[in-house]
Amino acid sequence: MPIPQQFGRGDRMGRGPYEKSGLIRETSLHPHETRTERFDIIFPPNIFDMNVEVELWYMPYGTKEVDGFLWNRADKTLSVSKTGK
Amino acid sequence: MRLKLILFLFFIALPLAVFAMQGGERKKANTIDELVKMYDISSCKVCHRDIYEQWERSLHARSIYGPETTGRTAATFWTTITHGLMEWEHSGVKKPEDVRIEHLMPCARCHLPQLEDATDAVAQEIVRNIYALVKEGDENAAKTLQKLNINCLICHNRNAVIHKWVDGEPEPNVIYGTKKGAHPDAMFTAMKPSPIMGEAILCGQCHGLGPMFEFDNPTQCATLYGSYLWSYVAKGGSKTCQQCHMHKSGLGHNMQSYRSPEMAKMALDFNVEAIAYYWRDGTRVIPQATVEVKMKNKAGHVIPDG
Repeated sequence: MPIPQQFGRGDRMGRGPYEKSGLIRETSLHPHETRTERFDIIFPPNIFDMNVEVELWYMPYGTKEVDGFLWNRADKTLSVSKTGK
Repeated sequence: MRLKLILFLFFIALPLAVFAMQGGERKKANTIDELVKMYDISSCKVCHRDIYEQWERSLHARSIYGPETTGRTAATFWTTITHGLMEWEHSGVKKPEDVRIEHLMPCARCHLPQLEDATDAVAQEIVRNIYALVKEGDENAAKTLQKLNINCLICHNRNAVIHKWVDGEPEPNVIYGTKKGAHPDAMFTAMKPSPIMGEAILCGQCHGLGPMFEFDNPTQCATLYGSYLWSYVAKGGSKTCQQCHMHKSGLGHNMQSYRSPEMAKMALDFNVEAIAYYWRDGTRVIPQATVEVKMKNKAGHVIPDG
């Protein structure tokens, strides 16, 4: 999420368009760009099957609750063997 | 000699007077209803019903109010006035009643460019309706604000010409598009091609470059055209906004962004791969999963904008 700069100065993010006049950090996904995010998840003790739900949210106002938008979703079922050493 | 001078002045003065009348400023709207009437598009609907109905579903049709379910844009106007203008020492606004056209234009430049054709009384009426909506949930205020929009006459007349020294001012009776000829309408009697109707710059007027330095207090709402120029085109992209948002999407004048399933799918490739395995760290064997999420931006601009 880009972090717009309040009045084009300092280290504070602007609240709304009326305060924004710059960027402190630009983290948006650019055209033609592919970004890969990797997550390593340890299975809980004595659990051998796991459902992983991946959700991509767009949160224009910073939280899911305020006008959040679920852009994409994928479900994966994963299992590890129960025997072996 | 005196007669000659008087006649000379008369011949100079007469054309100047005519010029002043021709080039005289259009009468400004004093109420929201007058402004709506100045930009009335009910006659467009008669012949271009499909396009009108597409447009009605777009955010352009509610550019001051915002999404139907949230009124988010009106809420941002409220925040701008309450937590911006009224808190800034040098804005000249201490209370909502102090808000004038000049205070709304940094937002209205794109959300309601025709506000330039209105008096401060209209600015006040808009502010009253925004406060009634946000503070009291007034449904009449919501309806009033939804009458204000970016409609046919903004893109096909008022904002259809950008380079006025090259192409001239938009003519008051002309609908700009792709054709030339007569236009069967009482007020807009002619059609002319706009040199930019299919170009990205038409949209770039509002879906902009970043801070708008022409204002005393610059704002930064949209940066899309900036990222289109310096990221999409810079990396070899060649489509225009219209090609993706209107034609490829099949949405026509119902121009949408990420909330439309068509646009969300077109904009982003989303792929998830996952594997599970045992990891050895020397002393332990740990079951774990690796999930790899790949996202590719296929849009002509950054995601998200801001």
